Order: sequence, then C-alpha cells, then structure tokens
Amino acid sequence: MNKFFLALVCVFLFSNHDMYLKMETYFLEANQMSSIQLFNGTFEKSENTIDRSRMLDASLLGNNNRYKIKEGQWSEKDSITFLSFNSGESATWVVGVSTKPRNIEMNAKSFNDYLEHDGVKDILAQRKKNNTLNNDAVEKYSKHVKAIFQVGENKTDDWSKSLGYPIEFIPLENPYLKYTGDTIQIKLLRNGKPLVNQLVYADFKSSKHGHTHNETNVDKHTDKTHNHTKNQKEEHSKTQGKVTHTHDGSTHTHEVEKKKDTSEKHSHTSAQELRTDKNGVVSVNLTNDGIWYLRTIHLENSTKKGLTHESNWATLTFEVKHSHNNNTSHTHTHEEGISSTVFWLSSIVLILILFIWFNRKSDKSEAA
Amino acid sequence: MKQHKLITILIILGLLPTSILAHEVSQSDQAILNQGGLFSYIYVGAKHMLTGYDHLLFIAGVVFFLKGFKDIVKFITVFTIGHCITLTGASYLGITANEHLVDAVIALSVLYKGFENLDGFKKIKIKAPNLLLMVFAFGLIHGFGLATRLQSFDIGSEQFLAKILSFNLGVEVGQIIALIPIVFVITQWQKAKSYEAFYKAANTYLVIMGVLLFIYQLYGYFI
Repeated sequence: MNKFFLALVCVFLFSNHDMYLKMETYFLEANQMSSIQLFNGTFEKSENTIDRSRMLDASLLGNNNRYKIKEGQWSEKDSITFLSFNSGESATWVVGVSTKPRNIEMNAKSFNDYLEHDGVKDILAQRKKNNTLNNDAVEKYSKHVKAIFQVGENKTDDWSKSLGYPIEFIPLENPYLKYTGDTIQIKLLRNGKPLVNQLVYADFKSSKHGHTHNETNVDKHTDKTHNHTKNQKEEHSKTQGKVTHTHDGSTHTHEVEKKKDTSEKHSHTSAQELRTDKNGVVSVNLTNDGIWYLRTIHLENSTKKGLTHESNWATLTFEVKHSHNNNTSHTHTHEEGISSTVFWLSSIVLILILFIWFNRKSDKSEAA
Repeated sequence: MKQHKLITILIILGLLPTSILAHEVSQSDQAILNQGGLFSYIYVGAKHMLTGYDHLLFIAGVVFFLKGFKDIVKFITVFTIGHCITLTGASYLGITANEHLVDAVIALSVLYKGFENLDGFKKIKIKAPNLLLMVFAFGLIHGFGLATRLQSFDIGSEQFLAKILSFNLGVEVGQIIALIPIVFVITQWQKAKSYEAFYKAANTYLVIMGVLLFIYQLYGYFI
C-alpha cells in the first residue's frame, strides 16, 4: 500500500525541493518588524510549507547572541512559510533552519532523473560507472538552510559563526563588505569539517534596479556558457513534467506544477557551477546586484539498514549591491526613494518662498 | 500677526507627516500583514494613503478648488468611487503595471490639478475638461497605483477579496485622516487676506511637484 501510494505521489508530483530562507531585501533598519520567507521548492516558487515539527533548529544569530525562534513567530500563506521578527540591534545577522531527516523511496528512473535535474553529477557518474543505474534507492535526506542579512550599518562577525548544522555554508569574508564585481570565498562544512571536491551551484536573482558589471561578466560567460545552456535545458525539461520524484510531500497536482514552472523558467541568470577546493572553499564571482544563493546536495552511499543513500542539502542566501566607491559613478537615488523628511521639509520651504513672493507681489499691486 | 499664525499652522501640519512617513518600510508592512488579520490590511492601506505624498498632493489640489462642504463631499466621493473600482478590480484580477509608469501618470494628475486651479486652461484659451469627470478619471488611476502597491505584497490566496476590501477600507480611512488637516488649513486660510497668495503659492507648488515627480518616475523607469 505504501509503495503504491509512493508511486502515485511520484507520478503526480514535481521534484526539485531545495529549501531557501529568502527576504525581499537583506538590508534592514534596526528594530524594525521584518519577515523572512522559507521556501521549499525552487528559489522562485515555494511548493509547500514546512511544519514546525520538522524543524530541528530555527535560530537567529546576531551580536554574538543566538536566539531560538519561537513557534508563534511562524505563519503560513499558501505554500510559503513566513518568519516574522524584529530586526533588533544593528549587526550582520544570520538566520538558519535545520530539518529532521526523512526517508524517501524512489525507483531507479526517478532517482536518476533527480540526480540529473538537481545536478548531483558525481553520484550519477558513479552509478553509470558501476552499472547500477537500474537500482532503486531509499534515501535519507535533511535540509539545512541559512541567510545572512545586514541590519543598520554595524558590520559584526556573526556571519563567520557556525550554527552547527550537519552541512553548512560559512563565508570567509563578510558578504556585506563585498560588492558587485567582487569575489567572495565561502567554505562548506560537513559535520564541522571542510567538504572537499563538492559541487556547489551559485546563482542570483537580480535586484529591481540591479545591473551587471560587464568587465567581470566577460570572463564569466566565456567559461560558463555551457552551464548557462545546461541550466536552461534543465528548466525546460522540468516544464514538461518528466521528473517524477519529490523530496517533500507537496500536494499540488502535476498541472499546477507545470503552470508554476512555466512562469519561472526564464530567470535570466546564469548559475555558476563550482567545486570546493582542498579546504572546502568555493570562490563565487558576484557578477550582479541581487540576491545570491548557493546550493549543494551532498549525497553519499549508505550502508545503514534500509537505506541506499543519505543526503544533506544546504543553501545560503545574501544580497549584493554595487559599491559607490569604485568607478560606478552613477547615482541610484531611485532605489531608496525620496526621503520623506526631505520631501516635506523642502515642500514647506518651497511653499513659503512662493507664498512670500506672491504676497509681496500682491502688496505691491495694492500699493500701486 | 494673523499671517504668521497661519504660517505656523502650515509648518506644524506639514511637519506632522515627517514622523510617520517612510516609503521604504515595505518589509515591516509585509511583516505586519503576515502576523495580523484583516485589520493589518486596514492599517497598511491607511498608512499607504497617509505616506503616499502623490495622493495627498492631488487631494489637496482638489480641495483647493472646492467651495463648501457639499462640494467637498461630492468630489471626494467621486474620487473615492474611482479609486475603489480600480483598486479592488485590478487587485482581484491581478492586473498590474510598472510602478514607475503608474506613479508618473499620478504625478501628471497633481500637475493637472495645480494647473487647473491656477486657471491655466483659461490662460491658454482652452475649455477646461469637466472637473467631476477628470476627478473620477484620476481616481481610477490613483486606484490602479494603490492596486499595484497592494500586489507588491505577498497576501496569499486565503480571504483574498476580504484582504483587498480591507486594504481599500484602510485607504479610505487614511484619506479621511489626511483630509481633516488639509480642509482645516485651507478653510482657515480662506478667511485671511493672504489667502490669494497662499492659493497661488500652493498651486504653483503642485505644478512644480507634478513636473518633478513625473521626471523622477520616468528616471526610475528608464534608468
């Protein structure tokens, strides 16, 4: 019965259930009510909410203090889980969520499709090499996601602290001292140790008024053309609904998924395919203004009873803006909007000047 | 002396919104909407009307033209009907447009009202369009701007219509709150000798701001 149900689910459901902590903006004012969205699906669309009972940890870390997120701070809207919080004191903050492991059973085809579409190339290559492509899989998986955001101007070193998750991205430099066109080094830890030779994908969602630094992109696109093309191919294949496994029990129908994916297939970004070096570090070229996200799935064979594989999924998001100290001489006042105080004060001054002028004119005409 | 008193009133009323104005608080607005029920939509709607200076400038322009309470009720009702239609309709149907372009048209409405109040049409010897009709048309545009704003929030699909209507109700509450000091200052000043200078100054200001806001929005759109 369970197998039948699983097969049914597999036929109708869509895959790609990366988890992300996302914000509209990663630059907040101090002591301001804010919200973070917990997406489970793709970076563009969340497919389902995450129940609090699934969370092993949900924390905010700032100014050297780690705060456990309370149950009442979570809410749901459609398929998105929201975290509402007060931004607190000025600092570079980290928010993290770590989920309990779950098992998923997949037939060989579903498993191979998932490896291909989620970019778990090493295990797929291993299956090809070992001639085990026809083997079904039982995978134990868990997800560990983080976001780093800046409150006020005070840059603290909380970004460098580990939340102690089974797998975790930790920048080696403060993302909020990095600007568009820079490169940032990010370490990947597995059980606290550097994870070597691991595939990591880095991508971005453009800011509303973001732009690309061409001089950096020339290099990037030259050697990443293949990745971009491949990514697009993957997106399109998803819209055809050929992927038949899930890493979380979404209840949407196949048709709905197709519609959703159609709207997101052209993200106009080009993911960087990276590999961690001997120190578990990847260098990400921050080519554009926008929200940057890194994702990786560490999948390994398992000898545990009832399992064939075990995976730990990690993502990290942060926002990058361009520097006003370099040769980007243009101004971007429209991003922040007109300061209300400046607007009203200058309005009053202008009205007063006009009033005095018209009043004098009127007095003069009366005297004449 | 009376003139100084009136200037003081203007400054105080003008300064009031500076403490509550913050166009860049969508994060906190989103957080309020996430945690609150329908009341949070009323609050955010009212807040948007009170902090959206383009709406306030247009309303001030309309009030300047009017004589008597009956006139105010008539024109504001027409403006309200106009913006309710597009705010509710566009939000419900998911119709949206580029915020800069919508705001650019709203800026033109501010320019239009100042120009008309200064007898601009008479001066260029063109018959002014029917004001009631124009206020209704601009009401539709302002409502579309409000709908675009509402749709920039993640409001989910549960109680969808109720949320839109609550936001709309909030906009009306905000409009009434904004109208009280605007009507007070204008009607108080009408009794003073300096009213003509104030009228000209305020409407010239509307023309200038209409032009500046229009340029500002186009700059935001193209750059």
